[in-house]
Parts: sequence; structure tokens; C-alpha cells
Amino acid sequence: MTEFINVGKRIPKSDAQEKVTGKAIYIQDLKIPGMLWGKILYSHHPHARILNIDTSEAEKLPGVKAVLTGYNIPTIKFGFYKDNTPLKSNKVCSYRDEVAAVAAIDPDIAEEAINLIKVEYELLPPVFDPEEAMKEGAPLIHEDHLGGKEKKPTNILNIPWKLVAGDVEEGRKNSDYVAENRFKVTWVTHCCMGTSGCIAQFDPRDNLTIYSNTQIPSLAQRDFTEALSAMGLQGKKVRLIKATIGGAFGSKLDTYPYEYIAILLAHRTRKPVKIIFSREEEFFATSPRQAAIIDIAQGCKKDGTLTFRDVRMVLDNGAYTSWGATTPSVMMMPISSLYKVPHVRYVAKCVYTNNTYSQAFRGYGNPQATFAIESQIDSLAEMAGIDPLDFRLRNANTPGEVTPQRFKVGTCGLRECIDAVAQRLDWRQNRGKRDGRGVGMASLIHVGGGARVYKSDGCGTIIKVDDFGTVNVITGATDMGQGADTVIAQIVAEELGVRIQDVVVTHTDTDICPWDVGAHASRTTFVAGNSAKMAAKKVKEQLLEVASRSLGEVPENLEIRDRMVFSKIDPEKKSPLGKVLRAAHYTTGGKMVMAEYFYDPPNENLDKEFKGNLSVTYAYGTHGVEVEVDKTTGQVNILKYIAAHDVGRAVNPMLLEGQVYGGAAMGIGYALMEQLVLNNGKVINPDFRDYKILTASDIPTIEAITIETDDPFGPFGAKGIGEPGLVPTAPAIANAIYDAIGVRIKDLPITPEKILAALKGKDSK
Amino acid sequence: MKQTVQFKLNGESIQIEVEPHLSLLQVIREKLELTGTKEGCGMGECGACTVLVDGKAINSCLFPILEVEGKSVTTIEGLIEADGTLHPLQRSFVENGAVQCGFCTPGMVLSAKALLDQHPKPTEKQIRLAISGNLCRCTGYIQIIRAIQAASEQ
Amino acid sequence: MKKFDYLKPQSLEEVLSLLNQFGTKAKLIGGGTDAIVMQRQNKISPDLFISLRGIPGLDHIEGNGLLKIGAMVTHRAIEQSPLIRERFPLLSEASGLLGSVQIRNVATLGGNLCTASPSAETAPPLLVYEAEVHLISQKGERRIPLESFFLGPGETALEQKEVLKEILLQPPPPNSRGAYLKLGRRKAMDLAVVNVAVLLTLNPKTGICERARIALGAVAPTPIRVREAENIIEGNQLNDELIRKAGEMAKHTCSPISDIRASSEYRREMVGVLVEKAIRQSLT
Ligand SMILES: Cc1cc2nc3c(=O)[nH]c(=O)nc-3n(C[C@H](O)[C@H](O)[C@H](O)COP(=O)(O)OP(=O)(O)OC[C@H]3O[C@@H](n4cnc5c(N)ncnc54)[C@H](O)[C@@H]3O)c2cc1C
Ligand code: FES
Ligand code: FES
Repeated sequence: MTEFINVGKRIPKSDAQEKVTGKAIYIQDLKIPGMLWGKILYSHHPHARILNIDTSEAEKLPGVKAVLTGYNIPTIKFGFYKDNTPLKSNKVCSYRDEVAAVAAIDPDIAEEAINLIKVEYELLPPVFDPEEAMKEGAPLIHEDHLGGKEKKPTNILNIPWKLVAGDVEEGRKNSDYVAENRFKVTWVTHCCMGTSGCIAQFDPRDNLTIYSNTQIPSLAQRDFTEALSAMGLQGKKVRLIKATIGGAFGSKLDTYPYEYIAILLAHRTRKPVKIIFSREEEFFATSPRQAAIIDIAQGCKKDGTLTFRDVRMVLDNGAYTSWGATTPSVMMMPISSLYKVPHVRYVAKCVYTNNTYSQAFRGYGNPQATFAIESQIDSLAEMAGIDPLDFRLRNANTPGEVTPQRFKVGTCGLRECIDAVAQRLDWRQNRGKRDGRGVGMASLIHVGGGARVYKSDGCGTIIKVDDFGTVNVITGATDMGQGADTVIAQIVAEELGVRIQDVVVTHTDTDICPWDVGAHASRTTFVAGNSAKMAAKKVKEQLLEVASRSLGEVPENLEIRDRMVFSKIDPEKKSPLGKVLRAAHYTTGGKMVMAEYFYDPPNENLDKEFKGNLSVTYAYGTHGVEVEVDKTTGQVNILKYIAAHDVGRAVNPMLLEGQVYGGAAMGIGYALMEQLVLNNGKVINPDFRDYKILTASDIPTIEAITIETDDPFGPFGAKGIGEPGLVPTAPAIANAIYDAIGVRIKDLPITPEKILAALKGKDSK
Repeated sequence: MKQTVQFKLNGESIQIEVEPHLSLLQVIREKLELTGTKEGCGMGECGACTVLVDGKAINSCLFPILEVEGKSVTTIEGLIEADGTLHPLQRSFVENGAVQCGFCTPGMVLSAKALLDQHPKPTEKQIRLAISGNLCRCTGYIQIIRAIQAASEQ
Repeated sequence: MKKFDYLKPQSLEEVLSLLNQFGTKAKLIGGGTDAIVMQRQNKISPDLFISLRGIPGLDHIEGNGLLKIGAMVTHRAIEQSPLIRERFPLLSEASGLLGSVQIRNVATLGGNLCTASPSAETAPPLLVYEAEVHLISQKGERRIPLESFFLGPGETALEQKEVLKEILLQPPPPNSRGAYLKLGRRKAMDLAVVNVAVLLTLNPKTGICERARIALGAVAPTPIRVREAENIIEGNQLNDELIRKAGEMAKHTCSPISDIRASSEYRREMVGVLVEKAIRQSLT
């Protein structure tokens, strides 16, 4: 492969210096003169009618500037199913329902005021189990929500997820072995170290500026513009400014009630209003990855060839609808396209309950689906008497394949990933001993070249070059710590032939930055990277054009490196870049070098049957683990962790490894210990004491292996890697545990208690 | 009732009036406007608020402000040298990819500093233990551990 | 956030008189890692905290025979004290496993005992060492066995105006060896699901276990000694059968509850496993 100067290098993250010195400004750190503090009162019940809200005491408290309830604000509906409102009137449907909000001159007064608000409720019967909620006669979460053919009130959402390719019944008939299981996954939450927050401010003309943590600036801007219209502020502008984001992982992919509340409070008080979540609120009032029940069947021939995959899911939607309800669109991907399966069927229902509502979380459904698929692949391999490694190799995807969902597989390094993991784990040697130590693996497919889930999958870039050769890149992309700022700078530097330190990336202000659909689907390096590369290409043409004039050399013979323009054939002809730029600028009819590009990848929206080439290219990977299980306590110790990924090209190996390590760490937590525990709808572990994420003592040594397949569509060959790092982790661990002690845990997390209970069950058989 | 407290902050003596129920974290972030120290939980569980008091790492969110009387406090702002040179640990964090969202970073760097001040050549296990009270959701810790190792080798 | 006053008396006498003056409105504070957290969670709401930090006579580790540890000694100091590591290694280990470095730098031994959490880290080791606690109030001073100090979750024998001054440890008989085991979900920063301390005195000639002390945490309303299990092995040559029986007995003597960290069944089961393991470790 070609050697590059900036691409492929371990370049530190652009803002790392600000962050290690404590100079980076997060939303927590931001203050605006005259700012008020907003606080929210949440429901005391999972399901109840609101009879009365008495805010008189709160209003009287000195320092309180506004008290809002669902009864004194305009109607604003948001969420993609438009079933959520900033403050609830009539009834509450979950413990996290916002009932009232206060703005006061300091957070303590706001808190005190919240405690003075009295709400009278009439309790309604709740329902917490989605299977119960689907039944006739179950309590209705939203009485006016109609569905089904007869348009009757129902808790089942009108989003009939259904993918059928081939004929699963036919596939089943042709199978020599069929495995059928139920898997369960539970709520886990993002645990961003910086909690959620925003500041809303109106100018005298009623235009809104909102300082936010969002990972979807353009779509959030649209949501807030709609909210302004609902508030009677048609035609007013929304400017969204991002502070440094203290972690996102999908949590900031939608707009939340607290943001609308801040807007309403700011408008009511005519002052800037800041809302910052406490850690407790972060745990119970933001949206986790959803709980789901997964019934799955897969079959194979005697030789291990997969014959069909049939999956049915019930997703606990919670009381309102955010992107969690759309994760089946991504679950379809591994279900239809992980390994070669001729016949596929997938049906999913999202069901309202009185639980918390869910959101996107790194992987967007893929980790849940892959847990079921890859756990069961091992069971199926065992039925067929085939080593799971051989089983996977036999069915592995290959370049050029078109999958049942009509994904066009371009580059595909899945086999290489599987091989690399097997080799590092010494697979043949270590597998199948059942002596308390075991190895396991699992693979993944994910979108690697954008994902057309919206009308556009595009991202815009503007580049301008100043008189001294500094390159300003203004991108629609969002950096939330993953390194988008740095990777874009590297791509531009490479394309232009300037030094990385001459590139400044701006990505924080919707008044300046072009449109982007958002930091999701691992699309930023690919889409924003391509966009930046194409814009840089245009800039380079202009640069060479103006240089050609001042150097008297045709552009084709010119090159830029290290802030110098020089002729490739005549070493005498050279000039500092800044000089060339100034010459072009300060002349009659002067020219500034600048260009823009909007890149929208040539991928397809899924059609009515949920088929189509969703992404320009797909990312593959395999994780392998060696574990040791203590049969007396049920505790699992990870001895070795290998993560192999087909990344197209590692634009920045250091940042890429960071994504893989971070993903795997989350994945290990998902597999073994993380769980947001809801007891009758209430989160009972809203703290880091009992919601356990891994500490530095828990993390095993992780070896990240990158397989470079140089994707023809990717910027310098790159594919996305943001999410894949945690997709196959849980099943790889579950498979290793099975290999170690012969028990299979089918519901996450795999706790010592579950292992011990399963071991006992096995012994008593 | 407000009380006066006197202590050294990043080498400089200061004296301020505070309400006694405040934590050291609240005072340095809100009154002194040194926002490099972060609050991730307010309950001693995450370590984002770590500062050094007389050279020892503590959770400033749980530390009553009046207890710093006469003591010496170092926050992340105090690590950088007067001419702007980064502390070797800060440089190592930058160069080893130990920083993603950066919210845990100031606390992490200070825990590492307390360790290296006591054990200039720590083992990997000592490093892991020293930062086990600092949660990081982004990095999986691997590059942080490497960064501390690299700094200790200089 | 609820406000409070904060006093920093200069002597123990002053502390006692302040306690007398303010009664139930005041609360003592050591390192504050329990007290401040409880205050934030609205589990306690004192008008006033009386700080024990910096008071002379509360932060010593001293004594040749009888070891005295001041109530304000931090877990970090215990973990790093060569004296304690050598003479009371189980306590050293337990303090080293409590919370994080940041917590251990401020959290005190006295605070750990006075919080009286059933899972208190240092309780099982101190129980097997048969520690005593020295309490002081304006009425006078008293020394009671740690075992009778714990009355229930969050409840101790401390009277309202009384202060825990120091913890006293008699050296165990010669040829004593033990083990401390903490079962948590994580390898650091975790409260014990079950914690167990075992201390055995073995006759070097006969190998007979002359004295056995076994204590459990997180499986009863307070940390407990399990004499029924101790009796099974005391006076005997230890073999697999006896060790198993001791574990079984411990398992049946405790009364764990189910909570978010574990079910009562699992806790009970683990008591058996850990007691056996700790006995075996003590033998090696
Ligand atoms: C993040 C975190 C992790 C933790 N991990 C653990 C763990 O792993 N294991 C564990 O056991 N505990 C743990 N704890 C709890 C706590 O740190 C310990 O119990 C600690 O020893 C308490 O000591 P302290 O000095 O901070 O007590 P304080 O909070 O100061 O006091 C605790 C209580 O005791 C009273 N008190 C204190 N000293 C005296 C005295 N001398 N006389 C009379 N009353 C007194 C106070 O009034 C208060 O009610 C953890 C706490 C946190 C925040
Ligand atoms: S903010 Fe202090 S430990 Fe989390
Ligand atoms: S870098 Fe984001 S929490 Fe550590």
C-alpha cells in the first residue's frame, strides 16, 4: 500500500493538550452572565393520572424566576414517533416523566423549589413486562395510541419490522441440525463521564442559541426549530453550539425533554437557563440500550453450511419513543448478513411499557442481535460436531457477495480476522478441554461506509486557506472524543501536502458548519472524511493554479510539502506556500483560496421490504477470548482478549486502537456486569456503586489487530470503526465460558450467580 | 455562616470566605473558577474530581472545604510549568492516545502523579490499582496505563 | 444541597463538650466518606458536623505488645504500616482493599466501624483478632469487645455523645496464621458481596488447630463471628472433611439478605466456599 505522510500515523488527538491541562470547556464549565439554573421534578409513580399540581409555594420562594408544568406551556411533541412532550399533563407513564420545572438564580434554590411542588396523583395499573403489555386488556400506556388492522388502542407500536428473504421454512426442511433458543438482553446505559446538560438563551428577537452536547447538531437544530414554531415563534432561528463533549456513545443522538424544558424556561424568563444532570438523573432520566427478548432459530447441513436464520424479537419500548425503537433496522444487518445464510426471516415488535424508554447506544441494536446469533452459532456447531472455528470459516462472508438483504459486500476481511484470532488464541490447542479454562470467538458485520437511515447520509465541508498557509476546515462532523477532529485534519493534510499542525478543524457551531446527519453508524471517518478529502482536492487545484502563475510552472508539475510549493522537475522553482497565497490575494482581482464539498455516499435507503445497500461498504471483525471460570464462585476471569477488525485502512492507528479498546471494555461490561436494574419501573441502581463499569484493575490486556483491506470507496481506504469494538464481545465471552465449563448463559449480564445456578442445574441432570 | 479558610493552591497562598457546607470541589470550580477539576458523580465513585492534598490523591467532591486549612492543594491547572511546558505525565497522555473525551483525564493524571511521586518505577499492577478509583468510559484504560508506564520510564 | 455548619475543635475534650452542647443536631465526621455521602443522599441531615481531623491522640499506630490504632488512622496508613502488615496482616489486607486510593487516603478505621455496615471491610479481620474498642464521653471511658460494638445495620453501642477513640489489638498467640477474602464483582472499588476472615493457631508439633476464629461480613445484620464453625475445627487435626463441615456450619449460621448486589442464596453459598478457601489458605 502507498506510504502517506499524515495518514496511517499515530498522531495525538487535536484537543488532547487542552484536555490534559484542564483547559477544555465542557457544558458543566460554561457560564453565561445572568444565567439561571433549571431543575426538573420527576414523577413519583410509574403510571398515574395527574389530578393537581400545586406550585404556589415554589413560586413564592425568593430567587425562583419561573415554574412550568405541562399545563402552562405550549404543546410541543417530539421524538421520531412524536409521542413525547417536555412536561407531562394528564398522566405520567414512567418514573422519569417530567412533571414540573423551575428556573432560579442558583441550583440550590431551584432544588428547594422543586421540593415545594405538590402533585396529586391517582394511581393507574402499570405494566412492566412487554409480553404482558402486548396482551388484550393490558393497561394502556397511551390510550389514544391506535394500531393493528382495526385501529384499536394498543401498546404495540405501528412499526412493523419485518424482513423476509428466501423461505425459512424451506431452509428448515433442508437442515440436518436446527438450534432454537430464547435469549434475553437487558438495559445498559452509556455512563458518559460528563453528564447531560445544556444552556438555552434567546436574543431580543427571539432567536435561540443553545449550548449543547449533541452528536446530531443539524437534526437537533431542526427539532428545536420545530419546537420554536410550536411555541409561536415561527421563522425564528436556532443556533446550536457544542461544548466539549464528555462522552456520547449514542446517548446524544436524539433531543431530550430537558433541552426543551431549558428552552421553555429561557423563553419564559428571558434569561439564559442552564440544566445539568446529576449523576443520579443521568442514570434514570437518560435513555439506555433497550431490553429485548430474542427467539432465534438457525439451521445447518451436516457439513456446517448454514441453511436458515429465523428471529423474532419483542423490544421493551418503555413509555415514549426514541431511536431505541428503530434499532431493529440495524439488527436486520447481522441477522441477514453475518455469515452466508440463504433464508432469513426477522420480525420485531416494539411495545410500550411503564419502563424507561430507550435510545441508541454504540452498535445500535447490533450487539443484542449478535449476542443471540453468535452464541447460537456455537451451539449449532456443537450439534453438527464441528469446531466453531471451522464452522465460521465455512460460512464466512466473502468479497463480492450480495447478501439476502441486498447488501453489496465489497472489501471483506472477515476470514483474515477469524484466522488472526484463532492463531493468537492457539485455538486448536486450547479449545474443548472443559477444565475451567476455555476459548471463544464471535464475529461481526457493521456498516462501514455510512448508513442511509435518513433522507441524506451526507456531510458538508468548507475549507479556506489564509495568507500564511493555515488551513481552516469547517466540517459538519462531531467530535465527542473519538477523534473526528484529528482524522479529518490528517486527511486534509495528506491531500493538500501541508503539515498537520497547519490544519485547524472547526466543528462546533451550526451558524458556521455545514449540514451533517450526525455522529452515528460509525460513519464519521468515512463520510466526513470523504467530504473533507474532496473539499481538499478542490482547494489543492486552486493552490496549484495560483502557484503555477507565480512560479511559471504548469500545475501538473507542482507539489506541496512542508509549507513549500515546488516544481518536481525544476528544483529552482519553489516558493513558500504563504508567499504564493499572498501573491494571489494581494493583486488586482485578488483571489482567496477556499472551497466546499458536500459528500453524500452512494448508498441506498432500505426499501419497503427493508432491503437495499444501506452502506457503501461493510466493516467486519472477530473477537476472541480466553477465560478462566471459578466453578466455586462463578467468577469469570478474562486471561486473553484479541480484537481483530477489518478497518479498510487505519488512518490513525492510535485513535483506532482507542476505539477498539474502549469498545471492548464496554462490551466486557455488557457481557459480565452492567445492568440498569428496574424494579417495577424504578431504576434502583442510579450510581456507580451499583451500576458497575470496569475499573483499570478489571480490564484485561487487549490485543487489537487491524486488517487493512484498503476499501476503494473509503478516504484513503478507510472504513468506520466507532461501534464495532463492542459488537461481538458478549457472545465471544459467553462462548468461552461454555468452552470452559459447559454451561451456556443466554441472558445478559452473565453474573457469577447465573453461572453457579447453571452449573448446579447441569450437575443435577 | 461564612468562614475564612487559608491554604496553598497550586503553590500560591490564598484566603477566601466560604460557606462551611461546601466541598473543596465546589470551591475550586465555582468560587475560584478552576474548572479543570471535574465532577462526574459527587459521591466519591468516579475520581473525576481527584486533586492532591499535601501530595495525596483525594476525591475533592467529598472533601469538606474547611479541612484544607493550612494544607497544600494541587489541581490539574498546577501541573503545567510557568512557561507553559506540560508535565511529563501530561505529555505522555497526549502522545499515547490516553485521552478521548477527556472528562476523566485531569483526575487520572493527578492519580498517576501521586503514584509516581511515591513509586517512580511502578509495576503495571501498581498502576492499575492507583487509577482504579478513576473511571474512564472511553479508553478501556489500556492507553492510559501505557502512558503512565511511558512517563515513569523517562 | 442542604447546608450545614462545620466545626473543627482542637482537642478531644472540646469535641466531647460540643457533642454535649449540640446533642442530636450534631454529627461527628472523620474522613467523611460515609458521612458526606449519607448527607448528600438525605440519609442524615445534621445541622452541624464536628470534625475529628487533626485532633491530637487519634491518629497513632503504636504499642509493642498491645497495638493501639487511633480511630482517625486512615486505611492508607494501615495498608502501608509495616508494623500492621507484620503483626496483623489480615487488617492490612482488608484496609488495602477498601475503596480506591483516594478513598483510603481519607477514610478512617474508626469511620468504617462506626458506620457499622454489615459489609464493613475491616470488621471480619478485627473480629478474628478479637479487637476491643475504646470509647470516651464526658461521662467517662470504656473498653468493649468489637463484637458487642455492632448492634445492627448502622447501629452501634456508641452512645449519642460518645466518641470512638482507639482500636486495641492483642497479639494473637504464636503460630497463628490467617486469611482475608473479599468477594466482589470487580477487582477494585467494590463493596463486599461476602467477606470472610479466618485466623488459626496451629500446634507446630502436632499440627492440631488449637484455636480458630472465623468472622463473616455482609451476611447478617452485623459482621459476625461464627463460633459454631470455629468449634468444629478447634482441637482437631484439620482434614478435608472437617474443613468442609466448618464451611457448611458457617453457611447455616449466617442470615444473609437479598439485595441488588446478590441474592441471599448466593451469599450463603459463598460463605461456605470462602470459609473453606480461607481455612485452606491459612494452612499453607
Ligand atoms: C467510593 C467509596 C468506596 C467505598 N468502599 C468501601 C469498601 O470497599 N469497603 C468498606 O467497608 N467501606 C467502603 N466505603 C465506605 C467508607 O469509605 C468506609 O466505611 C470508611 O472507613 C469510613 O470512614 P470515614 O473516616 O470516611 O468515616 P466518616 O464518614 O467520617 O464517618 C462515618 C460515620 O462514623 C461516625 N464516626 C466517624 N468517626 C467516629 C469516631 N471516632 N467516633 C464516633 N463516631 C465516628 C460518623 O459520625 C459517621 O456516622 C466506601 C465509600 C466510598 C465513598
Ligand atoms: S465527582 Fe468526586 S468521585 Fe466522582
Ligand atoms: S476519556 Fe472519556 S471518560 Fe476517559
